[in-house]
Parts: sequence; C-alpha cells; structure tokens
Amino acid sequence: MNAQVVERPTSVEEVSQLLRDTDGTVLLRGAGTALSWGGRVAGTDLTVDTRDLTGVLDHTAADMTASVRAGTTLAELQAAVGEHGQWLALDPPTEGAGATLGGLLAAGDSGPSRLRHGNLRDLVIGVTLVLPDGTVAHSGGHVIKNVAGYDLAKLVHGSMGSLALVAEVVVRLHPRPAESVTTVGDADADQAADAAARLTASTLEPTAVEWFTTGDAAAGRLVVRSDGSPVAVAVAAAGVEAVLGQAGVGGSTCPPEEVPVLWDELARAVVGEQDETVVRVATLPSDLAVTAAHARRTAEAAGVRFRMASSAALGLHTLRLAGAPAAVVAVVDGIRGHALARGGSVLVRHRPDDVDSLVDALGPPPSSVALLRRVSDQFDPTGRFAPGRFEPWYGRTPA
Amino acid sequence: MMATMLSEDRRADASATERVAERLRRVLPAERVVTDIGRLRTYECDGLTGYRVVPGLVVLPETTEEVATVLRACHHEEVPFVARGAGTGLSGGALPVADGVVVSLARMRKVLTVDLVNQRMTVEPGVTNADISRAVAADGLYFAPDPSSQTVCTIGGNVAENSGGAHCLKYGFTTNHVYAMTLVLPDGSVVEVGGNGLDQVGPDVRGAVIGSEGTLAVVTRITVRLLRRPEAVRTLVADFDSAEAAGGAVSGIIAAGIIPAAVEMLDRLAIQACEQAVNAGYSLDTAAALVVELDGPQAEVDEGFAQVEEICRSAGTTKITVADDPAARARVWKGRKAAFAAMGRISPDYFVQDGVIPRTRLGEVLARIDEMAVEAGLRVANVFHAGDGNLHPLVLYNSAVEGESERGEHLSTAIAELCVELGGSITGEHGVGADKACSMSKMFSEDDMAVMKRLRTAFDPTGISNPGKLFPTPRLCGEKPGKYVAHPLEADGTIERM
Repeated sequence: MNAQVVERPTSVEEVSQLLRDTDGTVLLRGAGTALSWGGRVAGTDLTVDTRDLTGVLDHTAADMTASVRAGTTLAELQAAVGEHGQWLALDPPTEGAGATLGGLLAAGDSGPSRLRHGNLRDLVIGVTLVLPDGTVAHSGGHVIKNVAGYDLAKLVHGSMGSLALVAEVVVRLHPRPAESVTTVGDADADQAADAAARLTASTLEPTAVEWFTTGDAAAGRLVVRSDGSPVAVAVAAAGVEAVLGQAGVGGSTCPPEEVPVLWDELARAVVGEQDETVVRVATLPSDLAVTAAHARRTAEAAGVRFRMASSAALGLHTLRLAGAPAAVVAVVDGIRGHALARGGSVLVRHRPDDVDSLVDALGPPPSSVALLRRVSDQFDPTGRFAPGRFEPWYGRTPA
Repeated sequence: MMATMLSEDRRADASATERVAERLRRVLPAERVVTDIGRLRTYECDGLTGYRVVPGLVVLPETTEEVATVLRACHHEEVPFVARGAGTGLSGGALPVADGVVVSLARMRKVLTVDLVNQRMTVEPGVTNADISRAVAADGLYFAPDPSSQTVCTIGGNVAENSGGAHCLKYGFTTNHVYAMTLVLPDGSVVEVGGNGLDQVGPDVRGAVIGSEGTLAVVTRITVRLLRRPEAVRTLVADFDSAEAAGGAVSGIIAAGIIPAAVEMLDRLAIQACEQAVNAGYSLDTAAALVVELDGPQAEVDEGFAQVEEICRSAGTTKITVADDPAARARVWKGRKAAFAAMGRISPDYFVQDGVIPRTRLGEVLARIDEMAVEAGLRVANVFHAGDGNLHPLVLYNSAVEGESERGEHLSTAIAELCVELGGSITGEHGVGADKACSMSKMFSEDDMAVMKRLRTAFDPTGISNPGKLFPTPRLCGEKPGKYVAHPLEADGTIERM
C-alpha cells in the first residue's frame, strides 16, 4: 500500500496541472457513494477528490440548461435551479449522501424518475473531461440539440473513474411539476410485475413505478408517482388506482406528510446497509417476477437474508444479501447465472470486505471487452485511473 | 450539374479494391458485388448532392456475417469503406471514397423480433424509420425519432446520425431510443453492445457509437425502444407580426413549464414557398407562424393547450388556427415538412443550413441573419425547431448570376459559425459529415478533437471506416462544394426535408 496523497483541486486547470505533474496511479472520487462498485481500487498513489471542484457555472433559466463543476452535489444543483421552478430530472438514492454530478455520471446511477425522464446519460448535453495525461477535452455543448463530434459524455457514463475525470457537466433541465401524487399499495413480486406491465400498456405515463420488499417474506409495497398539474395529476392518480386494482393491488393515495418518508425508505432499500452485499441486476421488465422468485429461492436455500427493490417498469433490480460470505457469494453467482441467461446484466455494488475477497464483482467479460480494453489503452495507456476497477476484464495487474 | 470532384490524395488503391471485389465474388452472388460503372454512379452522393465521388466497389451484404466478411476483406487490403443506408443524409456522411468500397445495408431490412410487452423491437439496419412504427401501429406503439425523411431513411442511418426530428424536444434523439446493437468493427470483428437490461457494466459504448457518422463501426442489428401512442394530441398554428413576437410566445410556453411535443416556426418567405408547394393553409400575410403540438394524457394536454393559446394571445398573436382532427393536423405538418423542397418555388437554388442556438438568443440570431443577408445581397428563408433552438436557414440564390453561388455558400457557412459564436452548435441533426468537417474547429479545440480521435483509433486503428468525415482535413477544407440540388426522391416528392 502506497502512502495516500489526497488532492482537492478547485478548477479544471488545477486538475490538468496536477495530472501533468504526477505519474502514479489515481483514484478519482466525489462523495464516495459508488467507490466500492465493480472491481476494488486499492493502493493508488494519489486520490483526486472533486468535492472542492464545485459551483454552478451557468444557469440560463429560459434555456433550461445548467453547467456545473463536477464536484457540485446534485442537491446543490437542485436547490439552485429549484428557485426558478426547475430541476435536473434525476433522483438517485445517493442524492441525500451528497452524490456529485461527476460521480453520478461516472457511476451511471439513476433513480425512480428514470421511467419518464431517462437517466443522466439522457440528460447530459456537454462534458469537460481531464484525461490521465492532463489533456482537457470537451464534448457536446450548451444546447439540447447537437450532433457535432463524438458524444464522450456517453462514453464516460458507467466508466466508474476509469478513462477520464469528469470536470464539468452541462445538463438539460425540466420544469418542476406543480403537483405530485404518490399511490401506494401492498404487492408481492408477481402483483408488482403485473401492475407494472399494465401501467406500461396504459396511456397514464407515470413518472415512477417502484416496488420493494418489506421484510423476509415475499410481501412488498408498490409505489407509483404521477407528476403534473393538480388537475392532470388527480385524473392520473385515479387511473393508476384503477390499473393497480386490475392487478389485485389495493392502491391508495399516500398522505402528503408520509410521501417523503416513503421515498426515503425506497432509497435506503436501494443503497443497502454496511453488512449487505448489494447486487444490481438489469433484466427485461417482464422478468421481474422470475428474477425475484429465483433470487429468493436461491437465497433461502443458502441461508442468506434477502431483500429486493425494483424499478418495476424498467427492469432494474437491487438485490441485497446478508449472511456467511461463501454463501452470499454462491447466491451472487446464482443470481448472475440466471440474469445473464436471460440477456440481463449484473454488477456487484457494495459488499463487506469478507465478501469482497471472494466475490466476482464484474462477472464474465462481454463480447466488447477487447474494444473496451482498446478504448482504455487510448485514454489511459499506462492504466493510471482506477486500476483494478475493470479487472479481471482488462487483464492488467494493478500498479 | 456543377458537382465538385474531391481531390485524389485519399483515393483508394484501385487494385486493392479490385482484390477485395475478387475475394468477395467467391463468397457472395455476383449481383451483390457491384463494379459496373453505371451502377456505381448511383452511389456517388447522398442527400448532399453537391459532393459527388464514384466508389470502386459497392457490396450488398444480407447478414451480419456477410458484413463481417466484407470488412475483413477491406481490413486485409487496407481499403477504405463507407456504410450506406438510404442515402438521404444531408451532410455527405455517406459520400464514397474515390475507388473505395461502399457497404450498402439496403438489403438488410428484416424485422427480427417484436416484444410488445417490453415495448422493444429488433431490426436490421435497412428497415426504414417509418416501417418500425408501421409494424406496431395496430398495437398502439411507435418509434419516437421522426426525421422528415422517415418514409425512406433507415434506422441504420438514424443510428449513424443520431437523428431527431420535429418531436425530439420532448422525446429526444435516436440515442435515447436504442437499447442494444450488433456492431461489426472495421477489422471485421462482431461485438454486441447493450442488451435486455437497461444498465450495462462499463463505459457506454453504445452511446459513443450512436451519432458517430459511420466512423466507428457498421451497425447490423438494432433493438429500439417503442413508446405507447399518447392518449391525446392537439396542434395549433399561431400567426405573429414578427418572428420576435413568435419567439416571445415560445419563451412564454417554456417558462410556463410546458414541454410541447413540437414547436416549429416559419417566417414569411418560408410560408410563401410552402403554400405554393402544398397549400397547407398557412396565412400568406403573416410575418411568422408557430406550430405548437402537445401530446400526453388528455387532462394534461387540454389544460396545457388552453395555456398555450393564452400565452400566444399575450404575445400578440394575430390569429390562432386549431388543427384538432387528424386530417387537419396532417395538413399542418405537410406544410411544415415541405419547407426545404418548397424553396424551389421561390428560388432557383438554395443552401440548407442546420445550426443550433440557445433558445434565448433567437431574436438576436434572426436580426444578425437579416443583416448578413442584406450584406450578401441574398434572401434567407427561416424554418426551425423553435423549441430546441435548431435553425434551418435556407439561403436562396441563383447560380446563373455570377458570384451568387459563392456568396450564398459563404453566407450559409457564416450562419452556422454564428450559431457557435452565440453558444450553440454547427449541427443539430444533419451531422458533420463531409459538409461541416471544416467548421468543427470553430466548435472544438485541437485537444478536444485529438481526444475524439483516440476513440476512433480504439475502434478503427487504420482509419478505414468512413475516412475524411467529421474531422477537418486539409483535403476537405481546401475545397468548395457545388450547389444544393434536390435529391431525386425529394424532387419527386417521396421525401420531405426539414
């Protein structure tokens, strides 16, 4: 383990100079909410902490765009643009933990509103990157419609601190809805899947359809949010209740004072606890029920505690496991095998150290692995950034 | 036709191309390995008809494996290739390399799978944009990106250009509507990106390839996202005494928190041309007209529509025409979408521009364009996607008048670069291609482009996939294109231009 030097640059120029002046391995971090996702990065020579690389650089309210330094927290941005009745239509569960715009882009994290607004990949219109050799590069711009040049913001989405440091981000904003109604009802995975399919097939256009387990049993809660004007939302909420009824879910409007509590509970169900291994699984939306049933069976057979939260209409699932490390790892492998066989994807996020030493965080390499490796070689020929993050895919020995 | 032949320094090695042809004749039927000069000429340009280059070989593969075979042969002989869909692009993205290879995806037009429950469809690249929506129309689904050439342009081309359309203000671009793709890399290797899950592990290669204008890979299979048709659609046309007043209404609509499905503006010249061409019912005596369309749940649309009418009145509209039934709505859109081709009614020649500005600079850019047009002694008609600041100024000129063609081209380029000066972009949807490669340096630094080229090198180390596009090269930047000539499909009314 090398001595850890932590730098907190305040400008793009400082980041660039810092990287030009050094040549060791580097861990990039924002709030650290996704530091443990994927392969573990350990023993780097330098940590570049972006939490002083902050500030809203521009917010032209009438254009509904904003540019920020990447260490700006999502909460700060929301507060700044919220004064003008706008928001970045992104609500990841890590917002409360101080997640930064750069970190969210690099991690590719998203929240319930993805159903209506897409994820950060869909909302970023420009980016400033600093490469491991200190080169500063821009892509995109400040307008919402623009096809000039390669879209490097997409490339770094999900790059998890490899390839480049995200230094500035330009985003498209949306009007903050005047009214929001949350409909909630008890539902097991089968009912949630049925309700989600019916909502998808309807013209109701909910902003979010989420489901999470409430205990050891299969029982859970289905949460649906409708946004818009007071009149439109009232009509939508009635429509949602009717659709939920068809799926055998008794939905009702969540009292306003309980709404923040409910969504906080959901966010916690996605982030997980320190002792849990958190596995993110993406499948076809229609695979919710089979994914839940298979994972529960596998966990129960291995004596592992199991919890689940899903963006039910999107097919994005967070599975949380706790138990003996070897048993947890066996369950992860089982979940992965099931999801991959159905064309899905699996990433191990947080896990305790004793699980980390045993678990395969990434799984088998995709068919694009040689290409990913070449992209990495072009952007980061010496493997400076986040060594180990995509091991063993890239076949590099961490420096 | 005063087409310009590009200089020869990037001409492919004709004997190497012949070796590729020989190799491919062994594995493909003769009619799909084209070297006949007459047939080759039909591939000499795309929708940017001022640039023309005859390729040495056109290949028509029918499967991913055949595409891979073609690219392996090109890779082996180091022959440049250009992938081509319907050839409707407006930036010369499918312009061949002289004596090089054109890979036409026109025969790969199968719909492979349709998943109504998960609202996705997997298709081959030669399927047209409109056919995707048509295949699921009875199920109440559609593919959102709607470039105006959608009846003939292909999904493969949409992926290459990251196509948008009139409704992308609300629904986004092709990149927001593709879940997975099969790529054939320039060395012939086959890679899958994306999948059944929305999230993939690692950098988003799919996002990097979409909009890369054929310079990174050939896409042979695409899984697209389908949307449910909205419950309600309402459309109005509002007349204004000035473009500034119309721009004020657009700002008012956005400030009210409404995201229309589309907001389009036409100025007097554009309206005159459109009315002569298709008689869609726009007012000939108005300075500017706004087309505003809302869609979504009925209650939301009705409420928003009343607000939009009120905002237009506050902004001084002189007349509001509501087009509420499908036939009336189709007429409004026919007029709007006919704008480019209609210019032929009021001018012998014209250049089509595609710049983007921040919406708030609209009044300023229109005033500057007026000044520049007066200075050049030319007329400029304006049609644009006002909601997202995407301008399509049409520079009118007469090539029979000495010097007008040069003045027109200069003015058109100056307008695109003015957009960058005002914080915008040189292209909102037509792409950089061969047309605007020289303007890239107005928008991006040497370092920006050097990093983009690193990405290209990772995909295509020998630079054989659509060379000479997107990035400025001395070869391209030293020469002038010919005048805009209507694409044959445009001239016969099959397609419309925005």
